[in-house]
Amino acid sequence: MTPPAIVERALAEGLGMIAVCDHNSTLNSAAVQEAAGARLCVLAGMEITTVEECHVVALFPDAEAAQAAGAEVGATLGQVDDGYEAFFGEQRVLAADGSERARETLALATATPLDVDAAVRLVHDHGGLAVAAHIDRRSFGVIGQLGIFPADAGFDAVEVSRHVAPGSPDEAQFAVHGLPVVHSSDAHFQCDIGAARTFVHCERPTFAELALAFAGARGRSVGDA
Amino acid sequence: MKLDDIARELGLTELTPKVTGDREAEIERGYASDLLSDVLAHAPAGGVLVTLQVHLNVIAVASHAELAAVIFAGGRRPEHDVCVKAIAEGVSLYVSPADTFDVVGRLSALGVKGNHA
Repeated sequence: MTPPAIVERALAEGLGMIAVCDHNSTLNSAAVQEAAGARLCVLAGMEITTVEECHVVALFPDAEAAQAAGAEVGATLGQVDDGYEAFFGEQRVLAADGSERARETLALATATPLDVDAAVRLVHDHGGLAVAAHIDRRSFGVIGQLGIFPADAGFDAVEVSRHVAPGSPDEAQFAVHGLPVVHSSDAHFQCDIGAARTFVHCERPTFAELALAFAGARGRSVGDA
Repeated sequence: MKLDDIARELGLTELTPKVTGDREAEIERGYASDLLSDVLAHAPAGGVLVTLQVHLNVIAVASHAELAAVIFAGGRRPEHDVCVKAIAEGVSLYVSPADTFDVVGRLSALGVKGNHA
């Protein structure tokens, strides 16, 4: 996946907003934002792996906030060792045109020492929104890892995978936490982009409007088309 | 085998000496898992859990599963609020410097059985 290819695919899928959420890294967000220009809202994000092996999706107001949060998370990670890339893949940092700028040498595939509460706090400290990732999945979701949804952690929304259909009884069971339920593709490959989507009732596709929608404020909301 | 005997035999550090549960209860069953959803589904009531998870939810899950005690392996220590909740819920907490495999092995040698034994 390159920034131009991601943007083209998202536009072809009719998406108005996407978030770039590399594991434990924010280094590729700005390049995708640049590739999109004014054509598509690209949120700078990150998928943090907590010490409990829960995934927390972080969405930031801008690339600068994301970079600062990413640096904080990166400081907790070790370096890759021999064989890491062969197993986990190349960690390429790309420019807006898709060319390679650098290789990340931090072991992004490992868990951070941050617990769920600390990860959510870190995201909020940088003005971001914290989403409990794919809570329907047995692996890396907060319910799978922690048995019970951690209501006190302070999440802003919960995310379900593409396997949970909008409006289904399955979705309803994840709405009981009083938080908006978002559907995301969790795309690891270009062809996954658009495999799931969330309808956000707002004035324009921006981070600020999304934050209002998560809070259910000023008539904004997350929900049915 | 009673909790106090297990703690002594395994050299465990008790984190919740104020728990006033049934110290005389026999611990016959044990379970080891770091996935708390799995613990909820499979841990035996009255048993002991060996885990690496030190999140506060361990106590809610242990209480719901009616576990008598939790042993944190690998020297992992939970935050103070976890111990406070455990005392309130009557769940005894211990820490072992040994890793999960060794803790379970020693429990097994003492006669504590799993679900399928």
